Amino acid sequence: MSSQKNEKKSKPQYNVLQNTAWMIRLAWEEKEKKVLVLSLFIALFSVAINLLNLYVVPTILAAVETQAPVGELLGTILFFAAALMFCNAATTYLSENVFFGRVTLRGAILSRLVTKHLTTSYSNTNDEKYLNSFNKAASSCGNNYEATEIIWTRLTTLLKNILGFLLYLLLLTAVNPLLFGLILVTSVISYFLSKYTDSYYRTHSEEHRKLHSRRFYVESRRTDTVSAKDIRIFGLRPWLEELYRKSMTAYEAFYRRAETRVFWGAVVDLFFTFLRNAVAYAYLIGLVLSGGLNTAEFLLYFSAVSGFADWITGFISEFSLLRRESLDLSVVRETLEYPECFTFEEGEELIPDNTKKYELRLENVTFQYPGTDSPILKNISFTLRPGEKIAVVGLNGAGKTTLVKLVCGLLDPTAGRVLLDGQDIRQYNRRDYYKLFSSVFQEFLVLPATIAANVAQSETDIDLERVKSCIEKAGLTAKVESESRGYDTLLNHDVYDDAIELSGGETQRLMLARALYKDAPFIILDEPTAALDPIAESEMYNKYHDMTRDRSSIYISHRLASTRFCDRILFIENGIIAEEGTHDTLLSRGGRYAELFNVQSEYYKEGGNDDDEQNN
Amino acid sequence: MMTNKTTKKKKSLSIREAFKLNFRAIRLICRADPRLILSQTLASTWKSITPYVGIYLSALIIGELAGARDPRRLQYLVLLTLGSTVIIALISALLARWQYTVQSNRLYKTLMIFSEKYLSMDYADLQAPRTLEIRSQIEQMRTGGGWGITKITFQLEQLATHFFSLLAGLSLTITLFTHSVPASAGVYTLLNHPLAILLIVAVMLLVTILTPAFSVKASKYMAQGNNTHNFGNRLFGFYGYAITDKRHAPDARIYRYDRIASIHNNNKHAVFHSRGYFAKLARGPMGLYKTAASAVSVVFTAITYLFVCLKAWAGAFGVGEVTQYVASITKVFSGFSGLLSILGEMRTNAEFLAIEFEFLDIPNSMYQGSLTVEKRLDRDYEIEFRNVSFKYPGAENYSLRNVSMKFNIGQRLAVVGQNGSGKTTFIKLLCRLYDPTEGEILLNNIDIRKYNYPDYLSIFSIVFQDFRLFAFTLGENIAGTLRYDEAKVTDALIKAGFGDRLKEMPKGLGTYLYKNFDQEGVDLSGGEAQKIALARTIYKDAPFIILDEPTAALDPIAEAEVYSKFNDIIEDKTAIYISHRLSSCKFCDEIAVFDNGQIVQQGTHAELLKEETGKYHELWYAQAQYYTTTQTENASAEVTP
Repeated sequence: MSSQKNEKKSKPQYNVLQNTAWMIRLAWEEKEKKVLVLSLFIALFSVAINLLNLYVVPTILAAVETQAPVGELLGTILFFAAALMFCNAATTYLSENVFFGRVTLRGAILSRLVTKHLTTSYSNTNDEKYLNSFNKAASSCGNNYEATEIIWTRLTTLLKNILGFLLYLLLLTAVNPLLFGLILVTSVISYFLSKYTDSYYRTHSEEHRKLHSRRFYVESRRTDTVSAKDIRIFGLRPWLEELYRKSMTAYEAFYRRAETRVFWGAVVDLFFTFLRNAVAYAYLIGLVLSGGLNTAEFLLYFSAVSGFADWITGFISEFSLLRRESLDLSVVRETLEYPECFTFEEGEELIPDNTKKYELRLENVTFQYPGTDSPILKNISFTLRPGEKIAVVGLNGAGKTTLVKLVCGLLDPTAGRVLLDGQDIRQYNRRDYYKLFSSVFQEFLVLPATIAANVAQSETDIDLERVKSCIEKAGLTAKVESESRGYDTLLNHDVYDDAIELSGGETQRLMLARALYKDAPFIILDEPTAALDPIAESEMYNKYHDMTRDRSSIYISHRLASTRFCDRILFIENGIIAEEGTHDTLLSRGGRYAELFNVQSEYYKEGGNDDDEQNN
Repeated sequence: MMTNKTTKKKKSLSIREAFKLNFRAIRLICRADPRLILSQTLASTWKSITPYVGIYLSALIIGELAGARDPRRLQYLVLLTLGSTVIIALISALLARWQYTVQSNRLYKTLMIFSEKYLSMDYADLQAPRTLEIRSQIEQMRTGGGWGITKITFQLEQLATHFFSLLAGLSLTITLFTHSVPASAGVYTLLNHPLAILLIVAVMLLVTILTPAFSVKASKYMAQGNNTHNFGNRLFGFYGYAITDKRHAPDARIYRYDRIASIHNNNKHAVFHSRGYFAKLARGPMGLYKTAASAVSVVFTAITYLFVCLKAWAGAFGVGEVTQYVASITKVFSGFSGLLSILGEMRTNAEFLAIEFEFLDIPNSMYQGSLTVEKRLDRDYEIEFRNVSFKYPGAENYSLRNVSMKFNIGQRLAVVGQNGSGKTTFIKLLCRLYDPTEGEILLNNIDIRKYNYPDYLSIFSIVFQDFRLFAFTLGENIAGTLRYDEAKVTDALIKAGFGDRLKEMPKGLGTYLYKNFDQEGVDLSGGEAQKIALARTIYKDAPFIILDEPTAALDPIAEAEVYSKFNDIIEDKTAIYISHRLSSCKFCDEIAVFDNGQIVQQGTHAELLKEETGKYHELWYAQAQYYTTTQTENASAEVTP
């Protein structure tokens, strides 16, 4: 609800005209000019078909009534038939073909949005305002009926309506301008009244969305193969059935309320149609009886009366839809132009060089997430010396991942500085700075592509030898070579039916291989063993040195003891580096680190039988 | 590929078979909600026949204007026209209201036919490769063109519309052929000749058949491209949406996801893009067939006009009738060609229906006996695995091989081993989500297959590794029902260690989990979710309680808390504890070590640790090395050269 209110408050930055111009420019830039040309012709041919249909019967009727020569009658019929055939065929063929250009343009808009989103300052991706804007913009590209595509249909139909309106205007004012006035007034009134009665869905869209999402959710749980186990063991089926039934009943009740309003709208519309037709009949028949019109003309004008009303309501309703779509387009453009807080291309260039010794220093860094009460990290200072291996440990929620994000330049400190060889990283092009890091974070995205492409992060530029050696270092060679397609094995079953699924541990190794392939000066590993079993975990620690040779690295873990192979351990608690040193010095200090270590090691002490006896 | 193959194979579906499949689908929908078909069909039928009233009446008006021009008759006709328009429109509006109200749940009521099947089928079949394959096929059919049962309501609606439109149209057209050209018209009396009529009708029929034939040809291209279509949508879904997930934002920057996304999103050769698969078809055969269909339909109009006008011109009837015939015969045409194309579409759809029925007809083949599990107060149950081997449906290798073991009530059993060693499979067999491929499992010396299945399940309570909670209220999640015993639910939550958190919750047990349906719903950490899942198992109060990696989401402190509470939680129940964190094992009376699908060791912690060459010893020290001081020195010695 609140977001809806906000929308109403904040004025869109761009109006209908600006957005229409933007779309036309887009078609130009993306070399899809045919969208414009074909749309124009579709509108012209549609109007032509309408006119031919309006005139065909009256014209032929006139020929029959006046007993015109048979040749003339046949000629007329043939002319209309040929013209209609041509226009129909043209419209169909053009409509069939214009579709793809329109889809391409929608794709181009989505592509710009995705690029913006994937490269925007990382802090934007945590900013509610930006996210709302992006999500709304992205959903405006979701299917053929969203603003970024349907606008072309809208513009085409509008053009058609305007042309039709003008032509019928000429025709009707020739009979009687008052008639034209009457149609205009009744159509406009009836349109706005029915718009009110149709507005239920719009004014209750939040309720609508909620009811729908509930129904959707229950359905998705019912068919979820993971939930299937819980449903069977705990006998949850009756519960889910009841929830499903209730959600559907509620949804139907919503529609009943909305459709009742629509019904009354139809009644109102009926009244005005009745009025219009009654006057038109009375007036035109009067004209015929007084000898001002012949039967054919009567038919022509009577059809034109209702046709004219259609142009008017068509125009108004299309335009109000265009306005709504223009709002969506405005959001798209505002998202694309969303301000950046990091420096990118305008910053200093930075070329990663593996032969260089980089030193990274955090200087009195404090960080507080927007919208929270207190900083998650307070006044942190440490230096990652060239080639050094640092471990960052602490309990869940201590701020380990935040610290690493500050190091990688994903977040900027609220206070303090991050220095690369003494220079504040904010002065560099941030995209260049990211080139310095090879990282494995906790969330994985497997690309729908081959294993090799996933490691190389490219489908075209793959150094296969390097891929193989990185897969080897990450301990995934056996798995890859056991697959018949080897390094060309496809991943991501959501896209490829013949893709294989990697287990959690295997995926983690794949991500490790990707990090090694990138071969950047800094290696960042965030809980890289979470999905591994003890033996695989131990193996990984043994390989760690090999993998990070000549590189500086930061290793995050909540398992305190797993980091002894690092040169230095930073123990984070309550937002500060509470303790720092090697594993042994920290233990002998007997502080919090030692205390937590003892809790964990309790379970691994020999002769744990004592515990059991105590429990008994 | 699969769909293409099946489409080709199923082309041999006879009309009879297609009819049967459609009929069955209709019955299924009627069972789901009979109003679905009725409301839709009624509203559209009404819409299709009522225009003829207007056509007929306005023809009378034109006829009167062209003829006698009697003002009183004109007045009468106009009032009749206006009045009938009002009544027809009122009824239309009422029918529309009913239709849209009922149709609001159309898709979900249809989906329910399938989700009922998911809920009732054997779990083993649910995960079988063939089931997953059909499932994804059905999914693709539905999203790429709406084929299958979901299409039936529309098709029936169209069928009725076209049929009644044809009937009503014919009734207004018959007189076109019976009114004769007067003998005075000379050569034009030829138009009265039965052969002339026959010729006209034949040409009309030909054209009427051609149009839908062209349309069907065109739509075949779409149906054939169904897989390409789906693949395109999946890629679009991935590079357009999935890749923008907030969770991947750090990786997106470090690994430049924007590069690969932009290549895919701007690919003009993508399925629906301007140089893609369908665009090529639209420029070529698909577009041309559609164009031909729309052009040929005009031929029909032309012939109609020629015939009608010549007859009128020769004096067979007046201009009023001309408008009537011209208007209604065009509708006869669209009704007839519509009928043909909808029948063709229904036949095509039958192929998709066949796939859906293959899914719905998967039998529940798991044998179920009728024995009831004795509800013993002393909970004296004994479970035995006897030479059990197991292979997942469609898999080549055994996941369990020749497993034999026995355990008694009140015991605490740990199942340990590396990932993929068969631990979770063992549990799935125990609670009969799958049946053994070889060997048997016994409860109190009777094969578990001989028990009534729900009854057998009632003795187990499990926290799966990938357990699911639902976005409804906390209390409902624990009890699994809408109405529950609050005291018992609260008690279970307290035992699971969730008591403090429960006190903080504003609406107590009525608090929604997650924010899907309530802004005041609570988001849960991994540990909290696990406690709730634990409470659910406690609430069920079954004699066997099974925990699959219950501490995976917990940090060491929380883990310690769960361990110390473990004894209270299980009370006198039998507990089976799966873990790859071996520290949990010491609590257990017995430990079974799995390796490569076999139980390689069994015994207490102390016993197993003594076997220095054993798997347990290896696993234990892989973890314990970090916690023993002697090992620490060794390790650091390795590191510092």
